[in-house]
Amino acid sequence: MGREMAIQMSREHLLILGGRDSVRLNETRQACCDPEKHIIWQFDLSLVDELAASITALFAAEKVRVSAFVHCAAVLKMLPLRSLTLEQIRDTFNTNFFSAMELTKVLMKKKINDRQLRSIVFISSIASKFGARGFSAYSASKGALDALMKSLAVELAPEVRANSVLPGGVRTSMTDRIFEDTEMAAKFEHDYPLGIGEATDIVNAVEFLISEKSRWITGQQIVVDGGRTANITA
Amino acid sequence: MISQPVTELFNLNGRHFLVTGASSGIGQAVTWLFDRLGARLTLVDLNRAGLEETVARCARNDHQLFEFDLRRVEEIDTLVKDAVAGAGFLSGFVHCAGIQTVMPARVLTVAAWREIFAVNTESGLAVAKCFSSKKVRADNGGSIVFISSAMALAGSPGATAYSMSKSALHGVARSLALEFAASRIRVNCIAPGFVKTAMFERVERLWNDSQRAAVEAQHPLGFGTPNDIANAAAFLCADTGRWITGTAMVVDGGYLAQ
Repeated sequence: MGREMAIQMSREHLLILGGRDSVRLNETRQACCDPEKHIIWQFDLSLVDELAASITALFAAEKVRVSAFVHCAAVLKMLPLRSLTLEQIRDTFNTNFFSAMELTKVLMKKKINDRQLRSIVFISSIASKFGARGFSAYSASKGALDALMKSLAVELAPEVRANSVLPGGVRTSMTDRIFEDTEMAAKFEHDYPLGIGEATDIVNAVEFLISEKSRWITGQQIVVDGGRTANITA
Repeated sequence: MISQPVTELFNLNGRHFLVTGASSGIGQAVTWLFDRLGARLTLVDLNRAGLEETVARCARNDHQLFEFDLRRVEEIDTLVKDAVAGAGFLSGFVHCAGIQTVMPARVLTVAAWREIFAVNTESGLAVAKCFSSKKVRADNGGSIVFISSAMALAGSPGATAYSMSKSALHGVARSLALEFAASRIRVNCIAPGFVKTAMFERVERLWNDSQRAAVEAQHPLGFGTPNDIANAAAFLCADTGRWITGTAMVVDGGYLAQ
């Protein structure tokens, strides 16, 4: 999702591409419009204690300012509660939640970002609103992310707007193989009234939320799920 | 897949939309924006003079005007048929018409709440129901947007009938979304906070300065403009919203977040 978001957004925006694998980050950058204009920030978000120092160093080296922050990174380990270790839960929260909070904090520092931040978009999930087996740690981290978003919307207004996008199941290069399973594909067809989504459906919502067209939208969970959560028969 | 930037995708070229409440406020802003985005429009309102003022500022000169009282719910079927006969199949509909009267429970009457419910809710449902017919909807799907209110999700003294009428739209949207998904008709609500319109000014007149300041302070981004709502409606009606259905998008400057 992050890669497809970067590629679409590179048409109108200059990007800092964050990720833990520099080879894959380079592949993403090469797929963007004007690759040389975008900056790579190689960092493993699970190492949240080192995050502030790393991003601060990047800003100093590149002399950049950021007006919008989109947090797509997420860890999902589908495991029943009894099999989840505290370490796995912490790992999920470090990447999905703590890193978003820590990054926002850094981006709000005048010395570092010169009060340039205008819009924050967290990629949450419909799992933030509804339960599912094996999703406990993931759902909890997305619920925390949405609660953080609402408080940021109130605390950082009117300079900064904060919203989240709650996608349903989306077909990306990473999830493509799930849909090769015909049983799984049929289940999605049944559960999603508008069928399976594409990354671009989510990116469109993100672009809307960082644009001036949404200048009066803050503190909201924008559901983009093809009708999945309206469908109680699913 | 090569996708277009969102600004280019906000495109309604070649599509026909019906807008209720088009003579003022949010309906007028939706009309002007959809007109600029290339849509042909059928504009419905009780106020003929207001409709004329609205179209006078449109780029296209082929929008249809219908002076119509939405309390005549039984006649809406005919209204929609006439709209299609005049300007072709509909790609969607934005229900902006609404009335609001501040009525504490002790003065609330059956006639008054039925009138609010007829205009705000039943008329929207009656237009939306027409989209179940192939003689109304365009082949390639469409988008229905009900303008509801933050009052559908939060309470306010004296707003009982208004809240009822607006929250009912959320229920309508969720169920219709499921029924219409097979024909690629999407159904969503937009729930605005306090937007500066003529209707807002009528409520505002009842406040003193400190009350006004208190209400504005409840909106972290201040009061909104009709255009803020129109932009959200365009996002939902253009292809940008093609995987969004059965939702309520809150556009309220942070009012409900705190």
